[in-house]
Parts: sequence; structure tokens; C-alpha cells
Amino acid sequence: MANGVSMLDNMQTNGVRLPVALARSFVTVSLSTLLLLAVCAFYAPSSVSWGALSGSLPFAAIIAIVGLGQLLVVQQGGVDLSLPGAVSLAVVVATHYPQQQNELLWQAVLVAAGFAVAAGLLNGVLVSIFKLNAIIATIGTNALLYSGVFAVSGGVPSITTPLLADIAGGTTAGLPHSVYFATALMLLVAFVLKKTVIGRRFEAIGASPLAGRAAGLRVRLHQVMAYVLAQLLYCVAGILIAGITREPTAFQGDSLLLPSVAVVVLGGTSLLGGRGFPVSTVVAAFFLNQLSQFALAVGVPFSAQTIIQALALGFGIGVYSIRWRIGSGK
Amino acid sequence: MDMMAPKIALETVAAQASQSQPGDVTIRLKGISKNFSAVQALSDINVEFHTGEVHAILGENGAGKSTLMNIISGTFAPSQGEISFGERVISRMTPETAAALGIAICFQHPAVLDDLSVLENLRVALPGSLFEGRPAAVAAQEMLTRVGLDVPLSMRAENLTVAQKHLLEIAKALSLKPKVLILDEPTASLDQDATDMLFGRIREVTAAGTSVIYITHRLAELRQIARRVTVLRDGRVRGAALVQDISDTDLVNMIVGRTLAAAFPPKFQGEEKRISMSVRGLSGHGLHDISFDVPRGEIIGIAGVAGNGQAELMRVLAGLEPAKGSIRLHDRELTQAELLDTAAFMPSDRHVEGVASELTVRENATYSAIEKFATAGIVSRKRELAGVRAIFDELAVKAPGMEAPILSLSGGNQQKVVMSRALLSEPGVIIADEPTQGVDVGARFEIYRILRKVSEAGTPVIVNSSDAVELEGLCDKVVVLSRGHVVETLTGAAVNEEHIVAAAVKAETHVDDAGDSGIARAKGWRRYLTQSDNAPAIPLALVIAVLGLYVYSQNANFLSAYNVYNILLLATALGFIAMGQTIALLMGGIDLSVGPLAGFLVVVASFFVNDDKSAAMMVAGFALVFVGALTTGVINGILIRFANFTPIAATLATYIAIQGCSFILRDNPDGYISATVTDWVNWQWGPFPAAFIVLVVVALLAEYVLRSKRVGWRLRAVGSNEATARRLGTPVDLTFVSGYVACSLLTAVGSIMLMTQIGVGDPRQGISYTLGSITAVVLGGTSLSGGRGTFIGTLLGAVLLTEVLNVVTFLGLTQTYQYLFQGLLIVSAALIYSLTRRRSAG
Repeated sequence: MANGVSMLDNMQTNGVRLPVALARSFVTVSLSTLLLLAVCAFYAPSSVSWGALSGSLPFAAIIAIVGLGQLLVVQQGGVDLSLPGAVSLAVVVATHYPQQQNELLWQAVLVAAGFAVAAGLLNGVLVSIFKLNAIIATIGTNALLYSGVFAVSGGVPSITTPLLADIAGGTTAGLPHSVYFATALMLLVAFVLKKTVIGRRFEAIGASPLAGRAAGLRVRLHQVMAYVLAQLLYCVAGILIAGITREPTAFQGDSLLLPSVAVVVLGGTSLLGGRGFPVSTVVAAFFLNQLSQFALAVGVPFSAQTIIQALALGFGIGVYSIRWRIGSGK
Repeated sequence: MDMMAPKIALETVAAQASQSQPGDVTIRLKGISKNFSAVQALSDINVEFHTGEVHAILGENGAGKSTLMNIISGTFAPSQGEISFGERVISRMTPETAAALGIAICFQHPAVLDDLSVLENLRVALPGSLFEGRPAAVAAQEMLTRVGLDVPLSMRAENLTVAQKHLLEIAKALSLKPKVLILDEPTASLDQDATDMLFGRIREVTAAGTSVIYITHRLAELRQIARRVTVLRDGRVRGAALVQDISDTDLVNMIVGRTLAAAFPPKFQGEEKRISMSVRGLSGHGLHDISFDVPRGEIIGIAGVAGNGQAELMRVLAGLEPAKGSIRLHDRELTQAELLDTAAFMPSDRHVEGVASELTVRENATYSAIEKFATAGIVSRKRELAGVRAIFDELAVKAPGMEAPILSLSGGNQQKVVMSRALLSEPGVIIADEPTQGVDVGARFEIYRILRKVSEAGTPVIVNSSDAVELEGLCDKVVVLSRGHVVETLTGAAVNEEHIVAAAVKAETHVDDAGDSGIARAKGWRRYLTQSDNAPAIPLALVIAVLGLYVYSQNANFLSAYNVYNILLLATALGFIAMGQTIALLMGGIDLSVGPLAGFLVVVASFFVNDDKSAAMMVAGFALVFVGALTTGVINGILIRFANFTPIAATLATYIAIQGCSFILRDNPDGYISATVTDWVNWQWGPFPAAFIVLVVVALLAEYVLRSKRVGWRLRAVGSNEATARRLGTPVDLTFVSGYVACSLLTAVGSIMLMTQIGVGDPRQGISYTLGSITAVVLGGTSLSGGRGTFIGTLLGAVLLTEVLNVVTFLGLTQTYQYLFQGLLIVSAALIYSLTRRRSAG
């Protein structure tokens, strides 16, 4: 009898709390973003002006795309430090290979994608088959990718092709194209993760590789897949940067590593792996970008901006980890 | 002062106890009860343990034996009742009190740290006084010889067999010369020789007055060694006697007879004798030549005393582990991969392997059969929900909702979700390992009913259970295992609790695999040399030398005093920071913040350490540098240990914050570092910077502490296995926080080198030292999984990395090669280390 009552209690409390709990990361990060926008509108209206937004949105879009890539790796319990090399390589391949000839662009894109698949396979095989620590494997791959960057570019920037500048840097209906790319990729990742057989298995394996293995799922295949798809996303981000920036440097990826991890964490995905939140990750990218814009508009120097980001990050992790502990009943 | 009083009192008690005569009572338990929330684990236990004799505790799995031992050793506090030691009532038994009284316990799962050597395992677990007055190795050797454990002291404990680990555990307990020695199934993995040796030791210590409490399942052992026996059942004492006065039959009758308030479905009645599955000659993973058949419609039970190969057999049958022999399903032999595909495994450790705790009820129910609800790879939510609802109705799963977290369900309902998943995948065979563990009575019946239904439909069902009543009620045939052998196959009317228990406890099989023998010598002495933490030092030094000589042959200036000095100077800054990183990695963590911290500290110093500042200002500047490092280390440590951040998340946050602090202090490079300080720091001695010599000395000292001081063992203990380290009495949180502080302080030393190299407070510098330090540490052979590493290796790794960067410029190669070499170096080093480690472990 006592058992029956406690069951009922459970049913009620959980029944009410759960639908909210599932979308928790999305609610948290969206509300924070709205709050931030309100603060911006009040204290620093210039940071939410159309000009400021359309100027900074492409960067938010880039962070969103690399964040989606990092998300996939983090979901499998890893972390991908080869992101800077991957993005930089895509940038230089997309600029140096065509040398401003539009007709060579598609070949350059294919070459960049080929590198991405190779790097992803290397990471994936090292981590899932040879059981190397993800940090070591991806540091090594990053160095190899940078060696490719120098082989292609010699470390000097090159001017982008006009076609790419149109595709990546143009605007349609007032919005920069990169925003469309980021939105489309977000929808794709979210759809695949949440609605397809592959995605559902991918999340289950990330949540518990041991349970996945016990159920006979192909754990290693899915882990390799995470690294390959992540590289392809970095590659897209790199090509977009090559279009947005007139003369991109050979180190364009360096500044993206930390934000990529930060937006994944702020989006509510645990660094221990498992369920991923692609939409929240993209919103977090916008949030992080807007935070910088706000700081810039109120005259905070570059310095304090990163401190604000660190506080946001620490706060985010704190909020999620505390909720998580309550949620799991510990 | 209050702390002192009971301690003195305890010593008096211990002194009194040591004067007691054989036959006196050492420990008396009076009316002990223990309940875990609603579950009554022990009720009204009264036992007396006498000085100088072996007292066996007998009982089935779950009878309450381990709980009782945990109460005696102070791990659990009893809900009621009192413990007296000698004449004195112990009001509150804690592990510390127990240790002070001289109570030693050998756990069923040895508290041995895999990454430490045998000697270090002894020293980290035992009080230093046991090693005083003579070389530690001599004392340790004596302890090992006493239990007949003949392994090199410097061998890594990971390479010990399970039996050898048990002997090590026994050696630790014996060396404490305990008044009370608790042995929990000590012979489970021992062969005949080692068992005889152990019995010899037990006779010696009892002759010397120790009271031995011996937990066992085996009647044969009981007769050999024990004088008294107490039988527990359902948390109560069912009988106590002198061993010589009681027959085996009476003992078995006391053990069995558990009451189970669940009804079982009727057994298989048909005449069908077609064999749906047959297992022939399975060996490996502690299994020896296991054969049995599964006739169509029958449920097969696997029985035995816990830890006798049942769990391994289940994993082999599920295709999770390879084994020799054949498994045929419906007359077709299956490979391991096919088995993995077709078998549905219900694991016993539900929280680890059964459910993905982060996922919802629905997701947990469908992740192995998800394609059944999909068209062209796209899952139909409607079909999925309908499928899950149908199976949940059939299995009577009670869940607050499809999207509820799986852990919000009761144990029984979680298990039903696991069953739903198994059934949804339409398996060829169901392998259920302890299917009703942690499941309430009502749900148990449901689970039995479902298993019976599945079996009647023609799917073979194999159930492992430590509950003989359950096997009696559920199974048509029971295979009893002992030490990996089939000792009996019971069918028909013989499937009852009494027969099952009797077969399990009366078995006299011993571990007969020579490779697993406790007495057998470790394979080859040379092997352990190659697995020492410092093994990478020699090949690394060789690579450094060969590379140097090669470049020297191309360009003689490479080995000029000037260039060597330059390489070593750069290596010194990296070396100090990498030593700090080594500490973080030894603890199984990581510190991403070292790079920005080094840069930040240079910026801090750039305000004080200038030519126009007084000496006092400069000293203050250096003091501030160390205060800054200390603060960072404390913050990192606290975030990781007390705020539940992962090391990556915590040090990433400090990474970004410190970078911001640098930019707050200086927007642009400014504040030139004093030339005098630079000259002092960069002081040259031949081709060597004096600072480099300091680094070498620090590395050697740190290495010494790591290997030979308690602090070093503790550092590696927490990285090797936090839970075991805690059982051994390591202050885990303190060790972690101090480790991160030490890491930051070493980074501060590195930053002093760095400031003379950069020469100015530049907020953009230093960041690359995060990846650089990790690379150097990895090259040096420290494992990122914690517990093993070397400061000497790190030092050489830092030198090699700097040398490679220097070589590229010296040979006139482009930066392409610089990165290429770096990448190849990391990947190949990591691969080599990981492969050699796996080989030596396997």
C-alpha cells in the first residue's frame, strides 16, 4: 500500500515537472538571450540596431556552425581540439586553391571536404579504435591539419573568390547568407539527431556507451561518425569564413575553439556526453555573440568581454550541473 | 583535548585485549539490527567471537553477512544493539576506531590500486611504522613471503592475477598483526596450494590469539579451518554450533528455507524435446568446458555461489565476450558477432549497462529496436509511441509518462523497460542476468510471467540468479557452476532450493588454471622493467640525441653552445609548466588554464619587475605572481571537487577569465622586465642555463617524492582509482585541491622564465603553453587516464618538443614541417604508449 502511494506521488510530481525539464536548456538559454536583448535595448540601443546586428550575425552564425560540430563530439564524451586546424585548412583551401577563379571554387570545396573526412576518420579511429584520449588525438590531428594549412598557404592570406564572397557574404531578404546556412545546418542536425534511426542510436550510445554495447549497438561506428561529421561542419564554417572575409588569414580557426566548447556547454549539453541540444547550442552562439556586442557598445574593453564570457560559462555550467543533480534524485 | 581522551581509552582496551586468553570473547554482538530505509537487513543478531579461533559465518547471497562485517569494521552504524570489544562496550564504531582496536578486514574485492607497484600498494595502505628501522623493501618482502606471494616488489599491481591481489590484500591485513581478522570469501580465486598456505597462516594467527571471522559458502573449507559456525538467513541468526557437532545436511537445512512471497507461473508441461539452443565446451574468461542444452519451451537457470563464473557465462552467451567452444541456436552455429546481434541481454548492473540514465522511458525502451518504427531511416513518432504503449500494456509497465526520466521509475519498472526493449528487438535468445535484483515483489511476478511466456513461444531463455528459491520456482533446468565448471545439472523434481544450494556449497573444485595461480611466478622479470612509468625516458633520450646528431651532421652550428643554450632555455619555461600539467594529469584531470595563467603572471610581473623599481617592489611583484597562481589553483580545485565541474569545464572557465584579467591589466604590450632580473634568471653555465639545471633538480626531486613519499602515492592513488583510494584512507578532496595548487605554482615558476624570454608584459602571450604543456607531458609518457606518469619523462618531452621546433628553423624547413613533426610526434607517441600498455596489461 505504502508502495502504491509513493508511486502515485512520483507520477504526479514527475508528470508536471518533466515536459518542462526536457526543454530546460532551451528555455534557459532562450530566456537568457531575451533578457540580454532587453538589457541591450535599454542600456546600449546601438548594439541591437540593425546595422550592429547584421554586422555581427555572420560571426554568430560561424560560432553556431562550429558549435554544432563540437556538439556531436561532446555528445560522444569527447572534445575536439582539432577545430582550429580544421577551420583554418578549409579557409586556405577555399582561398588559395581557386586563386580568385570562380570556376575552380567547387573543386576547392570538394578538396576541403576531402580533407575534412580524412581528418575526421583519423580522429575517430584514434579515439574509438585505438582508445586514445580524445584530447591527445585531436591535438595531434590539429598539428597535422596546421601542417596542411602551411603547405597550402605558406602562412600568408589570399584574396577570396568573388563567387564565394557572393554566396557566403551576400544578403537575402536583409539577412546575411551565413545565417541561412547556420539555420539550415541546425535544422538538419536537429532532425537527424531527434528523428532518424541513426540519430537516436547516436544519442543513446553517447548517453551510455556501456548500455549501448550491452544492447549490441555499433558503438565504435557511431563514435567515428561523430568526428567525421564534426569535421564536415568545421569545413562548412571555414568555407563561409573564406567568403565573408575578403582576405582571411591562415589562422582563422584559432579564435573559434573556446567559443565552440562554450556554446555547447551553455546550450545545456553535458561534457560527459549524451543528449545533445542543437537548437539551444545555436541560440547560445547568438547569446555569446550578443554579449560581446553589448560589452563593446557600453565601452567595455576587449579584456572585460572575455571575463564576462567566462562568468556566463561558469554560471551556465553551475546552473545545469545543480539542476542535473536534483533531476537525477541524488 | 576532547579528541584525545577516547584514543587513550581505546589503547587501554587494546592492551587489555592482548592479555586475554584463548577462549575469551574478543567481540560480542548483542541485539544488532540494521535497516536500510524500509528494508530490514539484519535483525537481532547475537554472536560472540572468541579469541584464538576461527568463526565461520555461513549464509546465502543476501543473507546479511557483508552488512554484519561492515558493522563490525565500522563502515555502517547499527540501527540497534551494541558491540563490545573485550569487556568494553563500544558506543560508536567507526573505521578509525576499528583500526585502532586492531580489527583488519580483507574485502571480497581487494582494495588494490592497479597503477601503483606492489611495494607502493603496501606502503600507501599501511602505517609507516611497519617499515621503520630497515629498508622498506625488506619489510615488504617479508610481508609477501608470509603469504607465499612471489612477485617483484616493483611490479605494477595491474599485472597481478586476481588470486595474487587477494594474497596482497591478505598480506596487508596480516602485517597489521590484528586482534580480529575478517576474511570475506578469501579463497574464491585461490588455487589449492594458495588455499593451503592461507589456512596455514590462519592457524598461525589464531594460535597467536587472533580472532578470525571467516565468511564462506563452502562447507568443505568450513570443516578444514573453522571451530565455530554461525548461519545467517534473511538477516537473522538461524543457528550456531561447534563445527564438529553439526552435519553438512543440518547446515544446508539452516541455510535454505528462504521465504519468497511471489507466486511463480506454471512450469513447462509439454513433451516437446526439440533442442532450441545448445552450448558445447565453452572455455575462457574463467569458464571451463561448459556444456548444456536448452530444450524448446524450457527456462534454464544458472546457479552457484556469486563470482563462480555465472556473470562471465552470461556475457559470453550474449556475445559480449569471446570464448572457445560452440553455441548453436536452432541448429545453426553462431559467431560472436551474430550472437551479439540476435541475443537480448538483460544486464545485472541495471544502472550501468541496462538503462541510459539520461534518456527518457520511451528512448530507453526503443534504442535497440528503433528501426522497427522507421521508414527510410526516419522514425515515426506515432508508430514508436504505439509500439511502446503496446509492449508496456503487455508487460504492465507503470511509468509516470513516456517522457519521464528512466530513473524516476521503480527498480521493477526499470527492469520491465529493459525487458520491453529486449522484446521489441525480437531476439533469438534472452539472456537475463539477475533479472529481479532490486525489483519489488509484485514486479517480480510480472517478470517471471513474461519470461515464461517468451519461453513458451519458443525463444530460449537463460536466467542467472543468486536466489535459489527464484531458480526453483522459475526454471525447468538449473546448471550449477563452481569456479567456472559445471558441477551439477538439475532437472525435473531435482530443481529445488535445497539441491541447488547443496550443489553450490558442497562443490570442492578449485581454480586449476596455472596462469591464475597465486603461487605461480609472474611471467618473466624482464616484462615489468618495460612497464615502469619511467620506461619512456630511455627511448626519448635516444630520440633527442639521434635527432641532435643528425641535424649536427647537416649543420655544425646546431650543437654550438649558443644554440644548445637557446633550446634548453626555451625548454625550461615549457618544462616547469609541463611539470605542473603532469600533476593534473596524474590525478586523472587536466588543467587548460596553465597557458593563460603563465601569460597573466608575466603581465602582473611587468608592473613590478622593472629596472626603475626598488628591490622591495620586485620582491613584492614575485610574491604577487605566486599569490595569483595559488588563487587560480584553489579556484580550479574547488570548482572541480566541490562544484561538480568536470576538469575541462572548470579550467576552461578559468582559462577565459584569466585571459580577460590579462587584458584588463594591459591592453597592449608594455612594462619592460628588468634587465638585471633577466640576466640573473638566464645565467649561463657552459652551454647550460642555470635555470635548466634547477629544472632538472626539481624534476628529479618531484620524481623521488612521486615514487617514495606518501604524498606521491596519494597523488597517483586518487588518479588511479578514487573509490579505492578513499577506502585506503586517502584524503581525496584535499589531495585533488593541493594537486591543482601545485600545478599552478609550477606554472608560476615557468612564468618567471617566460617573462625574461618575452621581456614585456604582453596579454597575448603564454596561451600556447596550454597545448604545449599537454604535448610535452604526453610525449613524456604520462597517461591521460591518471595514476601513472613521470616527471623525468615530462622534462625530456619538453626538451624534445623544443628541439623539434628548433630543428625546423635550423634545417631551413617551412612551418609545414614544424607542425607535421609535432603532429606525427604526438600521434605516434600516444599510439606507441597506448599499444605497449595494452600489450603488457593483456
